[in-house]
Amino acid sequence: MLRLEAVRAAYGPVEALRGIDLEVGAGELVCLLGANGAGKSTTLRAISGLVRPTAGRIVFDDRAITGAEPSAVLASGIAHCPEGRRVFPHLTVEENLAMGAYVRRDREGIAQDLERVCTHFPILGERRRQAAGTLSGGEQQMLAIGRALMARPRLILFDEPSLGLAPTVVETTFAIIADIRRQGTTVLMVEQNAYLALQMADRAYVMETGRIVLSGRARDLMNDEKVRRAYLGG
Amino acid sequence: MDAFLQHLVNGLVLGGTYALLGIGLTLIFGLMNLVNFAHGELYTLGAYATFAAVALGGWNFFVAVAAAIVVGAVAGALCERVLLAPLRDESIDTTMLVMIGLWIALQNAELLGWGGVAKSIPHPFPTAPLTLGPVGIAPLRVFVVLTALALIGLSWLLIQKTRLGTAMRATFQDRETAALMGVKIGRIHTATFAFGSALAAAAGALLGPIFLAYPSMGDLASLKAFSVVILGGLGNLAGATLGGVLLGIAEELGAGYVSSGYRDAVGFVIIILVLLFRPSGLFARSQRIG
Repeated sequence: MLRLEAVRAAYGPVEALRGIDLEVGAGELVCLLGANGAGKSTTLRAISGLVRPTAGRIVFDDRAITGAEPSAVLASGIAHCPEGRRVFPHLTVEENLAMGAYVRRDREGIAQDLERVCTHFPILGERRRQAAGTLSGGEQQMLAIGRALMARPRLILFDEPSLGLAPTVVETTFAIIADIRRQGTTVLMVEQNAYLALQMADRAYVMETGRIVLSGRARDLMNDEKVRRAYLGG
Repeated sequence: MDAFLQHLVNGLVLGGTYALLGIGLTLIFGLMNLVNFAHGELYTLGAYATFAAVALGGWNFFVAVAAAIVVGAVAGALCERVLLAPLRDESIDTTMLVMIGLWIALQNAELLGWGGVAKSIPHPFPTAPLTLGPVGIAPLRVFVVLTALALIGLSWLLIQKTRLGTAMRATFQDRETAALMGVKIGRIHTATFAFGSALAAAAGALLGPIFLAYPSMGDLASLKAFSVVILGGLGNLAGATLGGVLLGIAEELGAGYVSSGYRDAVGFVIIILVLLFRPSGLFARSQRIG
């Protein structure tokens, strides 16, 4: 469904991605692991068009989306739920969700999806008219996920969905992501919490300084000596 | 007391147009992080466009005012596309210098085109004031304040209730995430600059007939617009509206009770006080942009 071929990207003179090959099949939940600064977020940003690759190809459903504008990538069916939630603090919950559907024009479908998200996350329904900045961290994460769903994506990129959340909220968040996948949406997720991520993922890639150094089935990686030592705390 | 009411009414008329100027400037600053020194020139453009349409083209006054607003929007859009779009990632200092250059260029173009003699813009209103108890107000001024208020209301609707307005606010709050939602940031910039310019042109078209149209009229308008934005807090829309009205009323009261020669000074003394004691604006605690 999504394929990256030798993708390179740089911030000024600093090369952040040094040739990434990666594949996500339809219906999969794939996880991208690695230390801070390994290039995980940059990989997602290259896919969604926030960073223009300097070399390589990104193919989604047999169409090249390398270097496309974020709006074009989103329209092709990839939503990006960014690190740190990034809800619009002064927009209401409802306006945030509407922004998620910005590229869509089907008013009725949007209204239906808005209701669906509000039913699925009752807390968002209760706080529809409230500024998103007044929500708790966990609620903001629900909103960020709901907002990404509003685009009706076929693939969602999650960047560190557990970052800065209380442990119980992390569990809820992962349950929601598992649920999204069960309903047929493909997921590519960057996550620091390797243990939780590997438990729910089908496959995983491990990144180090801009390269993929290891990949395989999540189950196998969990038992991999190197992964255990580096990311799972022994 | 009667004189006080009269000053208040006059202040409201002036303040309504100040608010228009301020809203345009604060939107452009808040959204684009751009200090628009050419804002006053759009105001001048609005006045001259009205003059050209009415005095030279023989157009209906109201049509001319509407046309001036459109001219402002188109000029703003052009200016953004041609001058600012290529500089999108440049620092605020660079774009500020460009806008100072545009200010000088436009003002001299106006001098070249229209000459230095002030033009009076004909309008269809009778000069006899309408009296309401102790307060007298010229019909033209009634039209000005009502139109200004209507435009402020429309701006508010546009920003708060439309898809474009929501995208503008989202871009203002978090540009990158707005891009992830599919917002085309470049278009939002063009639309915002055009919108702010249209409001400045509207202010010029409305005040032009009260005062006169002359090439340097935009200088003071720019200063007033910056004052309003400082009063209201940078990027604060409601603040700019209230700030504009407050500045207008303060100036009229100053002119009435101190000396009409100090009209502009009163406004600037207030700005200095605000900068000394509440540097983030009188309404800093209310949320920015809407």
